[in-house]
Amino acid sequence: MKPAPFKYACPGSVDEALALLQVGGDEAKVLAGGQSFVPLLNLRMASVESIVDLNRLDDLAYIKRDNDTLCIGAMTRHRQIEVSDEVRAAQPLLCRAAAEVGHLAIRNRGTIGGSLVHADPAAEWPLVAAALDAQFVLRSQDNSRTIAAREFFLAPLMTAIEPHEILCEVRFPVAPAGAVWGFQELCRRPGDFAIVAIACQLTLDAGGTCSAVSLAIGGAHSTPLYVAEVEPILIGSQGDAAVMTAAAEKAAAAVDPSGDVHGSADYRRRMVKVLTQRALKEAWDKAAKSERVLQ
Amino acid sequence: MTASQGGKRVNMSSTSDEMLDTLTLSGKMVGAQVRRVEDPRVLLGKSQYVDDLDLPNSVALAFVRSPYAHARIVSIDAGTAQNHSGVQLVLTGADIAEAIKPLRVEYDPAKAPTHKPCDWPVLAQDKVRFVGEAVAVVVATDRYAAEDAAGLIDVEYEPLEPVSDVEQALAADAPLVHEEWGDNVMQTLQAEIGDVTTAFQTADCVVSERLTTGRHMALPMETRGCVASFERATDTLTVWSSTQVPHVLRSHIALVLDFPEHHIRVVAPDVGGGFGQKAHLFPEEAVAAYLAHRLGRPVKWIEDRRENLSASLHAKQQVAQAELAVRRDGTILGIRGRFVGDVGAYSEYPWGSAFEAGHAASSMPGPYKTPAFSFEAVSVATNKTTIGVYRGVGLPIGVLAMERLMDLAAHKLGLDPAEIRLRNMIRKEEHPYTTIIGAEVESGSHRESLQKALDILGYQECRGEQQRARAQGRYMGIGIGCYLEGTAPSSAAFASMGLHLGGYESATVRMDVAGKVTVLVGTHSHGQSHETTLAQVAADELGVPLADIRIIEGDTNAVPYGMGTWGSRSAVTGGGAISKASEKLRSKMLRIASRMTEVPDDDLELAAGMIRRKADATPLLPIKEFAYRVLVQAGDLPQDEEPGLDATAHYEPPPSTHANATHIALAEVDSDTGKVTLLRYIVVEDCGTIINPTVVDGQIQGGVAQGIGSALYEHALYDENGQFLTGTLMDYLIPTAVDVPQVEIGHIESPSPHTPHGIKGAGEGGAIAPPAAIANAVADALAPFEVRVNAIPLTPERVLDWIEQRKAAA
Repeated sequence: MKPAPFKYACPGSVDEALALLQVGGDEAKVLAGGQSFVPLLNLRMASVESIVDLNRLDDLAYIKRDNDTLCIGAMTRHRQIEVSDEVRAAQPLLCRAAAEVGHLAIRNRGTIGGSLVHADPAAEWPLVAAALDAQFVLRSQDNSRTIAAREFFLAPLMTAIEPHEILCEVRFPVAPAGAVWGFQELCRRPGDFAIVAIACQLTLDAGGTCSAVSLAIGGAHSTPLYVAEVEPILIGSQGDAAVMTAAAEKAAAAVDPSGDVHGSADYRRRMVKVLTQRALKEAWDKAAKSERVLQ
Repeated sequence: MTASQGGKRVNMSSTSDEMLDTLTLSGKMVGAQVRRVEDPRVLLGKSQYVDDLDLPNSVALAFVRSPYAHARIVSIDAGTAQNHSGVQLVLTGADIAEAIKPLRVEYDPAKAPTHKPCDWPVLAQDKVRFVGEAVAVVVATDRYAAEDAAGLIDVEYEPLEPVSDVEQALAADAPLVHEEWGDNVMQTLQAEIGDVTTAFQTADCVVSERLTTGRHMALPMETRGCVASFERATDTLTVWSSTQVPHVLRSHIALVLDFPEHHIRVVAPDVGGGFGQKAHLFPEEAVAAYLAHRLGRPVKWIEDRRENLSASLHAKQQVAQAELAVRRDGTILGIRGRFVGDVGAYSEYPWGSAFEAGHAASSMPGPYKTPAFSFEAVSVATNKTTIGVYRGVGLPIGVLAMERLMDLAAHKLGLDPAEIRLRNMIRKEEHPYTTIIGAEVESGSHRESLQKALDILGYQECRGEQQRARAQGRYMGIGIGCYLEGTAPSSAAFASMGLHLGGYESATVRMDVAGKVTVLVGTHSHGQSHETTLAQVAADELGVPLADIRIIEGDTNAVPYGMGTWGSRSAVTGGGAISKASEKLRSKMLRIASRMTEVPDDDLELAAGMIRRKADATPLLPIKEFAYRVLVQAGDLPQDEEPGLDATAHYEPPPSTHANATHIALAEVDSDTGKVTLLRYIVVEDCGTIINPTVVDGQIQGGVAQGIGSALYEHALYDENGQFLTGTLMDYLIPTAVDVPQVEIGHIESPSPHTPHGIKGAGEGGAIAPPAAIANAVADALAPFEVRVNAIPLTPERVLDWIEQRKAAA
């Protein structure tokens, strides 16, 4: 478990990093928190010619609110998001999801940008980014573009990012007034990648009637899966059990899971249904307990 | 300070520092809750493990390992690797076939007539038999270069049909792991004791179950590893190894390298856990020792985690068919058990992998009075990593089978699961009790430990809570697991099975001119706290303070020939050898002191650092002054006394010392996901006289953690092609700190009448009963669905499938 030889650079600015990637081409790879990439190198499941280490780029580690958008720099560590009052006020679902990323030592080092670009379909950040319709700001030496999370993830560990691009910023919409959320994750042990995870955000009126909903599934598909099909079922409803079951069945029908040693494809599909019901119930229960986001 | 007498410890402390140590009322160190001597070193990161050893001019090894479960090696091209920067040497099986003998476990044929030995070549010859088998070795200036070059070695394989499980292995047309056997059966053990047929014919109730278990791993935090160095000046081959058995390693390195044993030194430095896995000689260690001699340079091999998972040793995977015959009142009439062990490709050296299934089978009757018992233990080779001894060996599986049957019988008869156990257990007044397998259980607390565990749980209240939870759609269950464990096996016990292995232990006790004591003992602590507990034994024997005693283990040039640490043996055998050697030294000291003090030696004692008059504890001579006079002013010694203040003894333990315990798990099952959550875990254990309660508590907490792993998480998994699927710790799951409840521990002390101080073994027990207790708790939780819990690990999917199958059938 020693990595194959590679060249290493630790640039002091984003521009310098982008220049190195431009030169390195397909054979250069970005190192963020290293919580997945370094083990892959050590196991020789990945080998690269050169590594561009972003850990000196403190200007990519920030959390700022810009009106209705919460902007998080890609090198922000999971733990910073988990404990951020600013995030908790703007989009508390993010704090909840961050707390489920690995263990504390992993959260202290791993970054939101690294997790998103690694694109494990069972990871928390891709899931909530898909659920909340996050936008990603990608930069290359001579271009900057914004891409929706729901278009970014292509397959397990594959995204729309180009080899010479760096994910610089993640933009989450601030939770609207009256929003409630649900987050359910099933794993063998706390800190493991999810067998299945569900994130949802619902906007409810004072009477508990749903006016908007957004739900995504992790761990049960080749990518985090945003499920638009549940929206017509849930909008206008008051969260009665039959409606939640119908939505959960719709979600289960939407996924095409693959199995591994922790759960077969069939089990994952069944769990999509169970956890979708639970996530929706969690959201409506929050409304009943007046735990709404007040913007 | 807290004081203890007869198991009761009373807090008498005046300062916060003293509160950490709990002494006994009698002033004896055995039984005192003193702080661990090892802790400052371990907690401050000062321990020195084998990888901390950096010898000048060292080279590193990397092994090329088979990607196939079963394949013929057609050719190996190491040309590119040999020329790679930093590479010193590349060797394949053909290169070392003459120099290093294969590891071959031989049993005495008269005692083990069905056992078939096999060769485990240290580098594969002709064919590979499991994914991860070493095929070639690269020697390079560092591990990076060695791994780079290993990747350049081109091995051409011709894949063969693999043997992937025991059913396939036993089929008539199965491919053969070892052609010379003619089939895949390594050993079959059979016995029928009592009239089993009549027992089952006349029983009011017969229950049976077929159980499958996971393929477990010991998974020590420190992986395997060694540094080998050859010193030309003295012709000495020194091997520093992360091992539990320094002398065993020395003897077997000598054997396989045909190297004179008196020129080999093995040193086991600090070792970061072993749990049985490191009680072996491994191919990699033999290769490292050979290369150190051949190259004249120190050779380091530190295994990485992937190698540890795929290529060290696995454990415990078995398929069991078990039956229990009882009377209407629950009285056991007979037991039948057939255990088929999936031993993998080779045989763990020097124990032999057939050990596992045999232990599972013979452990079934446990603490229950059983008039008739038949068993069969079949050990079957497959194309997987070899099975080795791991904490509890077969007992967790035998106990799982028996305890499931007890619950099934209780359910069928409408008896409480606790009650059926109490009715069948050996009673205190029946000791010494000879079991159906001929073991003399010298003392114990079977019923008492169960009763105490039920009391700690609050059994009746828990049953009430279970009913209330069920009414809310929550599924809670209570599971009991009881066992009887023969600890510290004797030399005769191994001989009766045909094994070439001793059960004795050796110690030298040596006093210096300042009256301080060095104890050299053949056991080896890799987490068991011997520097504390064995010093407590010596302190009582020699009447010197704990701080004046030093325990030395692990260096074959220093300590007398011993068997190392495994099998819950060290407190009994290491403690026994120290007591015996101390007794020799003590009687010599008192004899000489008698001349010095003119008090008869019968009236003298060693205590509190003094030679005292026994009758009134009058101090007569400080031991320090005495030692100086004997060792330095030796001219004044009586003419008939031999000089010197040391003694060596070899201690053979009694045929059996039996520990017992009851475990109770309180679990909740999520009936929608199948996920099992442990709410509480209770252990009431009896390991005879406790030397140090903190150390026993630690053994239980750690053992239970591993047992929870077996019950809920762990399975080294292969696909139908023999591909290994759990090569990282993201796939092979073990419980972390957050998954293990704080174990609620109760102690009962039933001293052994046969051992010094009444000590029994405590090392393995914690890991033995969790699969049984947790499986029973899950079965109890899911009783409304009438689920049959007949496999571990209890993964969420497996448990949910059971629930849904029952729902579909209903």
